[in-house]
Amino acid sequence: MSDILIQALGLGVELSGRRVIDGVSLTAFSGQVVAVVGPNGAGKTTLLRALAGLVASSGELSVTKERTYCAQKPSCAWNYRVSDLGDIVGEPSGFANWLAKLGLAELGERRLTEISGGEQKCAHLAMALAVLPEPFGNLFLLDEPAASLDLTKQAAVHQAIRDCAQAGAACVIATHDLSFARRCDQVIVLSEGRLAAAGQPGATLTREVIAAIWGEPALTEA
Amino acid sequence: MTATKAFVAGFILLAGLVVLALSVGTQGFGWGDGGSLLLLRSPRVLAALAAGLALGIGGAAQQGVFRNPLADPGLTGVFGGALFGIALLLGLFPEAAWQRAWCIPAAAFTGALATSALLVVLGGGASTSRLLLAGLGLNAFTAAGTLVIASRSGESRELLTNGAYGDWLGMATLELTWLPVLLTLLAATLLLTLARSLDLLSFGEDAARGFGCDVGGVRRKAVLLTALAAAAATCLVGQVAFIGLLAPHLARRLVGPRHAKVLPLSALLGAALLLGADTLGRGVWPQAPLSAAAVTAVLGAPLFIWMARGRHE
Repeated sequence: MSDILIQALGLGVELSGRRVIDGVSLTAFSGQVVAVVGPNGAGKTTLLRALAGLVASSGELSVTKERTYCAQKPSCAWNYRVSDLGDIVGEPSGFANWLAKLGLAELGERRLTEISGGEQKCAHLAMALAVLPEPFGNLFLLDEPAASLDLTKQAAVHQAIRDCAQAGAACVIATHDLSFARRCDQVIVLSEGRLAAAGQPGATLTREVIAAIWGEPALTEA
Repeated sequence: MTATKAFVAGFILLAGLVVLALSVGTQGFGWGDGGSLLLLRSPRVLAALAAGLALGIGGAAQQGVFRNPLADPGLTGVFGGALFGIALLLGLFPEAAWQRAWCIPAAAFTGALATSALLVVLGGGASTSRLLLAGLGLNAFTAAGTLVIASRSGESRELLTNGAYGDWLGMATLELTWLPVLLTLLAATLLLTLARSLDLLSFGEDAARGFGCDVGGVRRKAVLLTALAAAAATCLVGQVAFIGLLAPHLARRLVGPRHAKVLPLSALLGAALLLGADTLGRGVWPQAPLSAAAVTAVLGAPLFIWMARGRHE
């Protein structure tokens, strides 16, 4: 069995008096990609932020290695050039490599307001990935990394995630993309902050679970 | 414009302004017999340079910490806090205030730091309106406090009123100037070391942490050093608005948003703006000179409105 990089037991998070995450358990091993799925408001982002240590949580959380968290909607106060971003995180060559892998090598001289929202998101992802040049043993927590990207960039992001996992990282990905989730090693289905199903994709993303969590009409989409 | 060109142009402009400022005064144009006027005017020029530098770099640092182009120690009450600190000292211990060179700077720093800490507590987070509302409240409170003390203390009344109008440059002497100048240089040098951390902070606290930035430490250092710069500037000139806002805006327009360039260029431009404003106020109306703050406001307000209308970040 490979190394456990993160283990949460009965994790709970309260935000403004409301229990947003309630009794969620999760274990991610080195080399694994874990998809966190669920309807809007199910608590995916809060779960990732709790795993990243950015919000206070109850329950047990043990993290053995470095964590890298990439927000759903990254923002930047100033209008940097894309090529500045590598210098800013102190890893210009690593950043350039990831940018190229994500198909954005040609963006270098453009400013952040001159590229699309999806491209900004990829640029942030490249920064997050560049900070830890050796993914081995690290934990990546990515909140909808491929949302609002075209198919080519989605594929590039998914490939980058798999590359990281192959190099020994554990990746926990919040996503609405069930077809991507089906290709992950583990799927966590959240509903109203609770664990609705967890395990291998074939066992969790069944017609029954999808109909129960997302409703009957979702079956045609999934 | 490349950064090198901008800095060279800034230095040439500043050098020209220094020569001009040393040549202009109530006694007319020139340096006097054997340069006597030169000696008389140099403390004022030094004070204006240092205060402008502190205003420029302090504004850039505060904008960086709050991730907000409208943050400015003048608008957010930090200068008000510094002046209130001085007012408290003059009101409570009028004799002690002038006995040691560090008393007034220390009072200004305490006031500026207290306001900065309150600003972080009340106006933190990403919301511009929350920051500006907190700053507005703090500004109003400290101004009211200064007014109350000024109206109750006969001796310090004129001094404090002049401070509130940014009209202290005229009383600059080497004895009063040297310590705030040193504090300015110290704050500015240390702020420059935070440049990359401020770049990281612009991606938000969570992301900055993910990139390995010690967010709490950087914020504390930047707030402390900005308060120090604001205190030094207040000791030298009193309250001056707009330079902390304009200098970073101009700097970003010229060299882009990287803090390693914006911080020093804001310092340079702030020094040039304040010295230029003071020289203009003395030179155009030698018999009834305008304060640097008045000139800054008259020229700065329309310029700021014009800049705020365009997309330039």
